[in-house]
Amino acid sequence: MASPEMRVRSHVPEQTGKGRRSALRLLGIERAEEIFPVLLEEVVALGHPRALIAGVNFDSSEIAPVASLNSSRSFLQRFHTSLFAIETPLARALQSLQPAHVRSRNRRGPDFYYYPLIYRNRTACWEAERARAGNCLAVENFHARLKLQLQQQICQVCDMRAYAAVAVVELKRGATEADSGELRALLELANRYLARLFKVEHYQNRMVDMETTITQMQTVMESMTDPVILTDPQHRVITQNKAAERYFRLPDEVSEGRVRAVELNNLLFSAALSSMAVSGSDSSRDMTLVDAIEGDEVLFEAVSAPSFAPDGRRTGMVTVLRDVTDLRRADEELRANYEKLRQAEEVVRQDRDRLNLVIENVGDPIVVCDRDAKIALLDPLASDLLGPQHGRSALHMRNQAKLDAYITKFTYSFSDRESAPLQLTHPGTLQEVEYDARSGKIYDERGLVAYTVTVLRDLTAVRRLEQLKLERRMLEMEKFAAAGRLAGTIAHEVNNPMEAIKNCIFLLTDQIKPDAAPVYDILKSETERVARIVRQMLGLYRNTDQVGNFDINAVVEDTLILFSRQLERAGVRVERELGDLPPALGSADQIRQVLSNLVVNAKDSMNGGGVLRVRTRVVRRDELRQHILVSVADSGCGIAEGVVTTMFEPFVTTKGERGTGLGLWIVKGIVENHGGKLRVRSKVGKGTVFSIALPAV
Amino acid sequence: MNRKCNILVVDDEPNVLLTYRLILQQQGYDVAPALSSEEARRAISEQQIDILLCDLSLEKQESGFDVIEFARKKEPSMPVVLLTGYATPEATDRAQQLAIPVLFKPIDIKELLDTISGLLKENYEQHEAAG
Repeated sequence: MASPEMRVRSHVPEQTGKGRRSALRLLGIERAEEIFPVLLEEVVALGHPRALIAGVNFDSSEIAPVASLNSSRSFLQRFHTSLFAIETPLARALQSLQPAHVRSRNRRGPDFYYYPLIYRNRTACWEAERARAGNCLAVENFHARLKLQLQQQICQVCDMRAYAAVAVVELKRGATEADSGELRALLELANRYLARLFKVEHYQNRMVDMETTITQMQTVMESMTDPVILTDPQHRVITQNKAAERYFRLPDEVSEGRVRAVELNNLLFSAALSSMAVSGSDSSRDMTLVDAIEGDEVLFEAVSAPSFAPDGRRTGMVTVLRDVTDLRRADEELRANYEKLRQAEEVVRQDRDRLNLVIENVGDPIVVCDRDAKIALLDPLASDLLGPQHGRSALHMRNQAKLDAYITKFTYSFSDRESAPLQLTHPGTLQEVEYDARSGKIYDERGLVAYTVTVLRDLTAVRRLEQLKLERRMLEMEKFAAAGRLAGTIAHEVNNPMEAIKNCIFLLTDQIKPDAAPVYDILKSETERVARIVRQMLGLYRNTDQVGNFDINAVVEDTLILFSRQLERAGVRVERELGDLPPALGSADQIRQVLSNLVVNAKDSMNGGGVLRVRTRVVRRDELRQHILVSVADSGCGIAEGVVTTMFEPFVTTKGERGTGLGLWIVKGIVENHGGKLRVRSKVGKGTVFSIALPAV
Repeated sequence: MNRKCNILVVDDEPNVLLTYRLILQQQGYDVAPALSSEEARRAISEQQIDILLCDLSLEKQESGFDVIEFARKKEPSMPVVLLTGYATPEATDRAQQLAIPVLFKPIDIKELLDTISGLLKENYEQHEAAG
């Protein structure tokens, strides 16, 4: 803080002995209110009978005695007047700022001396000097530039409300010029001291006020949990509160880390200040500081404002640091959550779009209803059936009624799923369409029904398709049978010549010359081959096939009986498990062929005996379709993996020269023509299972 | 019996019939060939037949079973072998009922010869047992 400069007065007025004593006495006074009594005493000590000081009440513009000596009340009464009563010598003295010697109206009365006491000085006070203000009240009054105006008794510079009074002295009898001069000198001196004391007291009051204010401000600062820092224009710290010390002051136990942290904090802070100063007032900066006590990082937002002196001079900055760590973190979390939410929304939106796309493209009418069986969503096909929002025909409404009845019943039932036939009229073709309605329930998190989804499958279309497939299959079978019959006929025709040829070969056995033997052998073997093929074909297409409904179990039994003796001879035990079967559609003879083939193969694989297990059962794929499963299992030598892949191809055989390689190919052909599937599972050394699945009627 | 065994072979294919005759004669049998069911019936009536080898399908939709029936009428225990290119289940059933072995063409000669000798042996043993 600046300290007042002591000014040494170079100008010292002359003083008489008495005057010197008075002067000394006045000097010794420490308080302004003591001056008046002492002054009056000194005045009277000069020999004047009485004196008084009349002060100005600026609020009421009255002049009234404030101090007196040797004066009675009635005497004092004479000196009550208004500031503006300029006819009175009292007011006139003040207004003119000049002393006045007023002689009494009659010769015998005393003379009075009026001396205005106002705040005035030749030179400006130190404050005005420092502020380089030219309008120090003291100086202005001194030069008496202005008339005494109430408001102008406040110093523009230091804001001090000056005093104004008049000293009234009843002069002693026979007062000379010298007496007047002496009196005047005393009064002047007193005024000077008074002015000074007044000023000093003013300063003191100001100081006290300032200190109070400072203490209050410090309390405020300390009470703030946020760090507050005052810096001077060079960014040096003037003062900071306890909260700030945590970051910017070295703690008592000094560790290297902490020291560095505090240094870093101070650096960051200075940098922030500089940048804020550059960017102008009311700016803010983020900075990450290290807590010197706890050691963790805290994110602050520094908000600063410049501070100014009353004269507009910039005196520095006030910076408040707000801990925004949590705020920032919360903000980031919020942002992250928002982003997640947005992404989730995006995903949901995409799913919804996908779902809508799926629903629109399913190809069956779909109706979604809420828990009260009211329609929530319709796909385009369902909309066609039930009609548009407006302009529904009776047909639409009938459809809707039927659908409502069904869905309502389902919604309030206890079952999860339901399917039922539903007869609706197609608005376009006006045809009755049989639908198979399939419904499911969607539950909410409380386990209550939220929605029901119903898909309407056009059974007529499905049935027609099935019918077409069946017809085609039967046609195929007919063709197959016809081809078979043709082949059979051919084979039969070939058979007879073959028979003769074969017999001849037998007959020639012993008549072949040795060197013709190889040729004869070829003749023999190739003929046998042809014979086998013909035999196989004859075996396959033996009869006039008849296509119709037949019982597979009967065919199985027939086949097993047919081969019972051979199986017995081969040491094969037969186990059968024949379930309840619906009729199959096709050629019983051909299926018999298939089974015969499989049974023979099985027998051949079980050299030295084994078990042949034949099993039939029905399998329900869904309610439109059933399949009959026939499996022929043996405990024979199994089929090698490489063979399995090719064994259904024609002319592939494992039976060497005995096999024609046609058996399984024909079997597969028959099964497929019946609309069935043939599968084989085999393990070398364990056995083989052939499974046939045929559609049931 | 001291005479040779007489086998009646019935088949409407001439070359087949001929070659079977030759084969069987080679084996030491006597053979009475018949090209038709009529010839077969004549042979049955006129000769002593020990065994009948008959093709299933004969001329003009005639069936071998008719011949067999005719033969069995004369000689109920006559051994019969049915030869055929193919057979309906009914045919095989019927053959089985009559306890007649069925051989499928093209016929394995060895199997044929074994079947014949087997049947004859059976027959002989039966006659022996009957005394």
